[in-house]
Amino acid sequence: MVHGLVITHGDLGREMLRVVELVMGPVPGLTALSNDGASLPELSERIGSVAAAAEEGLLVFTDDFGGSCTTAARLALRGRQARLLTGVNLAMLLEFAAWRDELPLAELSGRLVNTGREAISEVVPTPGDTG
Amino acid sequence: MEAVLARIDDRFIHGQVVVGWCRRLDPDRLLLCNDAIAADPWQCSVYASSVPPRYRVDILSREATAALWRDDRGTDRTLLLTGSPADMLWLVQAGVALAEVNVGGMHAAAGKAELLPGVYADAADRRALADLLAAGVVLFAQSVPGAPRHPLTRDLLQEATT
Repeated sequence: MVHGLVITHGDLGREMLRVVELVMGPVPGLTALSNDGASLPELSERIGSVAAAAEEGLLVFTDDFGGSCTTAARLALRGRQARLLTGVNLAMLLEFAAWRDELPLAELSGRLVNTGREAISEVVPTPGDTG
Repeated sequence: MEAVLARIDDRFIHGQVVVGWCRRLDPDRLLLCNDAIAADPWQCSVYASSVPPRYRVDILSREATAALWRDDRGTDRTLLLTGSPADMLWLVQAGVALAEVNVGGMHAAAGKAELLPGVYADAADRRALADLLAAGVVLFAQSVPGAPRHPLTRDLLQEATT
C-alpha cells in the first residue's frame, strides 16, 4: 500500500485530510506536515522519516512549487521510492484514498496528476445563473 | 553589483523571497551563498528550479561570492541570501560592503531561543549578529515587504545573552 504525505503552509494539509476523512472515512498511512516555524533541515528530516516508514512507496503532495515545502521534500526524497506532486487539491487526495491499494506508485502518481487538473474548471454560466 | 537586499534565511529560496521580496524589489539576480549547496550540483538544481525564469540565479561558495563582489563591475541589482548570520559576517569581513542586512528566516531549532517574533538564535548566531552590528551593518527583522520591520539592536542581543 502506497503511503501519502501532504506538506503545506499553515494547517492547509491537516484540514484537507480532515475533509478527506469526512468523505472517505479514515485513510491509514495518509498524514500531513506543516512547514510552520520549521527550518529546511528540520522539515526535510521529518519528511525523510515518513518516507523511510513507507515500504511500498510514498506519494508526497505539496501546496506550491518553489516553496520550502517542495524544496524540503526534494532534498528529503533523494534516492527514495517516492513521487512528488505539487499544487495539491482535494480531488487528488480523494482519488489517492480510492486508488492507493490498486495501483503501484508510478501509475498512481500519473493518475492523480490528471485528476488534479481535471478538477479545475470554470462552471460555464447558463441563462439561469445570470438571474 | 548592488545588493537590493541581503537576507539571512535558513530556507534560502522560497515563497517569502521569490513571491514576497522579488515582486517588490524586482532584482536582476538572486545570489545564494552557501558552501555545501554550491559544492553539490544536484542541490544547486533543486534550489535554482524554484526560481521563476526571469531572474538570474547564481549559487556560489563564500569565496566565490566575495570574489564576484570584488571583481564584478556590472550594475546587477542583486538579492543576496545566506543561510546563517555566520556566513553573512564572513562575507562582510571578506569585503562585501553591506549597509543593512535583513534577518529574515531564522527558524526554531534545538538550542535556539526567540530573539524577535519568529527569529530564533543560538549563542553562535548572536555572536555573529553582534559582530555584524560592530562592523557597522544595520540589522532588521522582517519576513516579507508588508510585514513590520523590527530593528535588531545590540541591546536586544545583550538581553538575550543574559
